Amino acid sequence: MTLLVPRAHTVAVLLDDALVTLNRAVGVLRRRNVPVEGLALHPSGTAGLSRLTFVLKADAVTADRVAQQFQKMTGVRSVMVHGGEDITSEAKQ
Amino acid sequence: MAEILTGAEILCRTLVEGGVEVIFGYPGGAIMPFYHALPDHPRLRHVLVRHEQAAAHAADGYARASGRVGVCVATSGPGATNLVTGLAAAHMDSSPVVAITGQVSRAMIGRDAFQETDIIGITLPITKQNYLVQDVTELADVVRDALAVAIEGRPGPVLIDVPKDVQNQKAEWKQSQPPRIPRARARDQSPGSIDDGIRRAARLIAGADRPLLMVGHGVILAQAYAEVRALAEKTGIPVVTTLLGISAFPEGHPLHLGMPGMHGEVHVNRAIQHADVIIGIGLRFDDRVTGNTASFARQARVVHIDLDRAEIGKNVAVDVGIVGDAREITRRLLAAVEPRRCERWLEHIHGFTRPPAASPHGLSPEAILSAICEASEARCTIVSDVGQHQMWVAKLYPYRRPNTHITSGGLGAMGFAVPAAMGVHLARPDDTVWAISGDGGFQMNMAEIATMVQERLSVKMAVFNNGYLGMVRQWQQFFHGKRYSCTPIWSPDYLKLAEAYGIPGYRVTDPSELTDAVGEANAAPGPAVVEFMIEEEANVYPMIPPGGSLSEPIEAEPAPAPAAG
Repeated sequence: MTLLVPRAHTVAVLLDDALVTLNRAVGVLRRRNVPVEGLALHPSGTAGLSRLTFVLKADAVTADRVAQQFQKMTGVRSVMVHGGEDITSEAKQ
Repeated sequence: MAEILTGAEILCRTLVEGGVEVIFGYPGGAIMPFYHALPDHPRLRHVLVRHEQAAAHAADGYARASGRVGVCVATSGPGATNLVTGLAAAHMDSSPVVAITGQVSRAMIGRDAFQETDIIGITLPITKQNYLVQDVTELADVVRDALAVAIEGRPGPVLIDVPKDVQNQKAEWKQSQPPRIPRARARDQSPGSIDDGIRRAARLIAGADRPLLMVGHGVILAQAYAEVRALAEKTGIPVVTTLLGISAFPEGHPLHLGMPGMHGEVHVNRAIQHADVIIGIGLRFDDRVTGNTASFARQARVVHIDLDRAEIGKNVAVDVGIVGDAREITRRLLAAVEPRRCERWLEHIHGFTRPPAASPHGLSPEAILSAICEASEARCTIVSDVGQHQMWVAKLYPYRRPNTHITSGGLGAMGFAVPAAMGVHLARPDDTVWAISGDGGFQMNMAEIATMVQERLSVKMAVFNNGYLGMVRQWQQFFHGKRYSCTPIWSPDYLKLAEAYGIPGYRVTDPSELTDAVGEANAAPGPAVVEFMIEEEANVYPMIPPGGSLSEPIEAEPAPAPAAG
């Protein structure tokens, strides 16, 4: 049941560099009540595309569900979920 | 020679090019250039509603009944915000609607101009896509894109906001030229993974003692009726249809059990709770279907087939998820399963069946619905509103033809039935269309009778009048110590209302009057209203309390509980 252990996932979303797309993407985090810590928007290196990065503290199933919600959004090019660091051990450090 | 058109003309022309025939709308300041151009495009029939909410519901009803995109139009500000409930309903029930709104001129945007509102911002969470058109040269491709986005994949509403000066701007008309606006696409499941899912699903079906098919709206959207029926008949697996899945499988078929969930029959919910394999096709395991998910189908391995990958595992844990079109996947699953029977399991389920609940006194919902079915010789589409009557319609009406039950399931928007039925009528002019409402929901949008009269839309309106907001009253009775706070509702004299609109009106107080009144209303050439005086405190049974387990229904009036503090 390791899938259900809360961990820190870094989610990187490559999306169109348009305010309406950014608005929609951030809106999904709010609307789906996603437990997010830290949110950053950077140029992606490709013209017309930005990278939205955030840290999600949730189990792997929730992280995957969040990724799927982004995946189907118009203007989103790709979604990568990194990590899965154990939050408990992180807290001990 | 290049043809120069205004934005408004381009809007009309791209709608015609996209095959749009009917538009539900209401003019206003910021959309006037569009209305100025509209008469030059007689292929676009415009239906003037009495409130923009009705335009959105009517476009939704048209879309659900026709399988094509429904279009609604409104002006900026209040016109646009009035569309919101209808767009949210279409979004929750995956209905392809395109809304076109006027916006204040570009130079005024952001200045809180008269009738300015950020409709893009307002509708972001309830649309599949929306566009603010900043340049007339983009307009044609935006409309083409919107019409495609609304209906492709999992359908949904799309909004196009067009500033007034863009509607007046001129540009060269260009024929449709792919590619459309490039768009990221959700990654589909890999073919290998789908094959694997189908093999695993077939193995689960072969090894199951108590398998169950749960069929939702996705089957209607994909028109997978024949495939689902063939799968059920080949394997003998009993079928339950969710509220929006009703009419996807013939009622009265020996394998059809009924509707699950909060107001599902006891044997249907017991079948779910005892199943060892559930094959869900095109449903999202909504909370009204599952009750408390912690106690939902705890013995079952779940196979979930859905077009939207984000639905797989969203509400309930899934053992096998298959992403794809319900028709295509069911056809392949049908080929992969071995014939089998489930007679002992069916007997087991029928052992849970309760005798039919005693009919309420006087005029019963069963008698009313059966009179409507007989009068229309089952050649009718039922559009229901939201509340007690909606559950009676879902549970009691004997649907024989696919996609003949249309209701606001996900959003549960009261006031839906009357305007949505106008759209259904235009999509299916040869069908009789009955809009069935309670006295609460009917009063929300009854102004649309004027639209029906002016536009010659033949909709038969049934009003189940119990003098209460019945479903809320039922909850107050069960869970709030019978404290009927603000649920008694007065109605006008619907016979006089009908007379005021110049249409036939009937009031039925006794079962002996049913056949004549319903028959005459059904046969009348245009719209008609029939008011049914039903028992004031009739309840919908059984009922799973909100958040409760499917295993613990309320089957009769509970002992009065102390009033909630």
